[in-house]
Amino acid sequence: MTNGEHIRDEEFLLLAAGALPEEECAELRAHAAGCAECAAKLAEAWGQAAVLAFLVPQERPAATVKAELFARIRAEREADHRYRWPTKSEKEVRAPKMDDGLGRASTAPARRPRWEWVLVPVAVALLVAALVQWRENQRLSMELENANRQIADLMNARQRTQMLVDVLSAGDTVSVKLASNLETANAWGTVQYNAGKGMVLYSAVLPPLPEGRTYQMWLVPKNGAPISAGVFLPKQGARQLWTAEVPLNTEVKAFAVTIEPAGGVPQPTGPKVLLGAS
Amino acid sequence: MTLEGRTGELVSDWSLLERVVQRDESALSALYDRYSGLVFSEAKRILRDTGAAEEILQDLFYQIWRTAERFDAARGSLAGWLLVAARNRAISRLRRKTGKTEELSENGVSLKVDLESTAAQNILLHKVRVVMGSLPEGQRQALEFAYFEGMSHTEIAEKMGQPLGTVKTRIRSAMEKLKQVLA
Repeated sequence: MTNGEHIRDEEFLLLAAGALPEEECAELRAHAAGCAECAAKLAEAWGQAAVLAFLVPQERPAATVKAELFARIRAEREADHRYRWPTKSEKEVRAPKMDDGLGRASTAPARRPRWEWVLVPVAVALLVAALVQWRENQRLSMELENANRQIADLMNARQRTQMLVDVLSAGDTVSVKLASNLETANAWGTVQYNAGKGMVLYSAVLPPLPEGRTYQMWLVPKNGAPISAGVFLPKQGARQLWTAEVPLNTEVKAFAVTIEPAGGVPQPTGPKVLLGAS
Repeated sequence: MTLEGRTGELVSDWSLLERVVQRDESALSALYDRYSGLVFSEAKRILRDTGAAEEILQDLFYQIWRTAERFDAARGSLAGWLLVAARNRAISRLRRKTGKTEELSENGVSLKVDLESTAAQNILLHKVRVVMGSLPEGQRQALEFAYFEGMSHTEIAEKMGQPLGTVKTRIRSAMEKLKQVLA
């Protein structure tokens, strides 16, 4: 986690971006809570992340939200005022002075009108009704949330399908067959690449790998180091298509698939199993 | 109460907060008018649920009312705290976390830009969109998955089919770029 005793700079950024798993977040925040230097750096990183709110289309909340907020505040202030222990001067103002017949003034106990007790069952009934209503609202909110999530998933699927259609139907998309270096007879791959859109689509038939290993697709540019187009594990008998975004307008001379440790690597290290020239 | 003071000058967040400490509802109302749109839009973007976003918005401003004295002008930014706290609460809700969510300290966000006027907010909005628009698609997506969807770097790597190291680099690079907005 730390370099010496402090949090590393890159970890501040990942934490503020929200990209760290919960356990790591808790560890870093616990450290920052006791370290003024790291707390200051973390506050700056949070500030950087805060401006991401400006990416979102701006909407005004309904006026009722503000009205409810202030109703809540006023109800609380009223309750505080009503139930706090009265001060001595307030007691004197509320309770009328009586003469006890001996020339000494005494304070009469405040009387509570009997009809106030009627309010107790009414209040209980209202509380129960509010609770039932709240639970119903919770249930409906959850249903709505699920429905919204499903809509979002469908929209994502639609966008992905549209993207596939766009790439496959574009005149400048190149199609490359990948030949196998394996002894297995049934091993091959195909790549559809559109440099202008920065998109790679590929499918492959390859033998299963031992645990802890993965296949990784690479673009080999005319200039520079290979660029990863993602890791994949083909399922036997399934028709699968993988997609990856790569830097726009990269001139590619070949595509290759290597075997790498699970999770992939920044640059190829393992044996090439498929290869095709662009 | 409007955002403008009686002399026509903009009233600072901290002046308004001092008045909130004195139980001045009009000061809270001015802060609400200033930031409720940003907070609500952010929470709604994450949750895709108007009602839930409204609850978060109301709870945050209620918290300001209850704990205004804890904010310290010398140590943090009220606007920054509102935006990050809204994000964190929305993500907690999105991921259906149970139990107590770790709260962001009232002075835990340092945002050294002026957001106190609509004009200043519009300028920052433009700058953020220009910078984010200039990022490579993979960097922008990785950062948005983390910040708005609450996905960890491992989940993002899986979703994008990229190595974990690549995803971390993309997020870090995108965050570094955001520094330009604040420069």
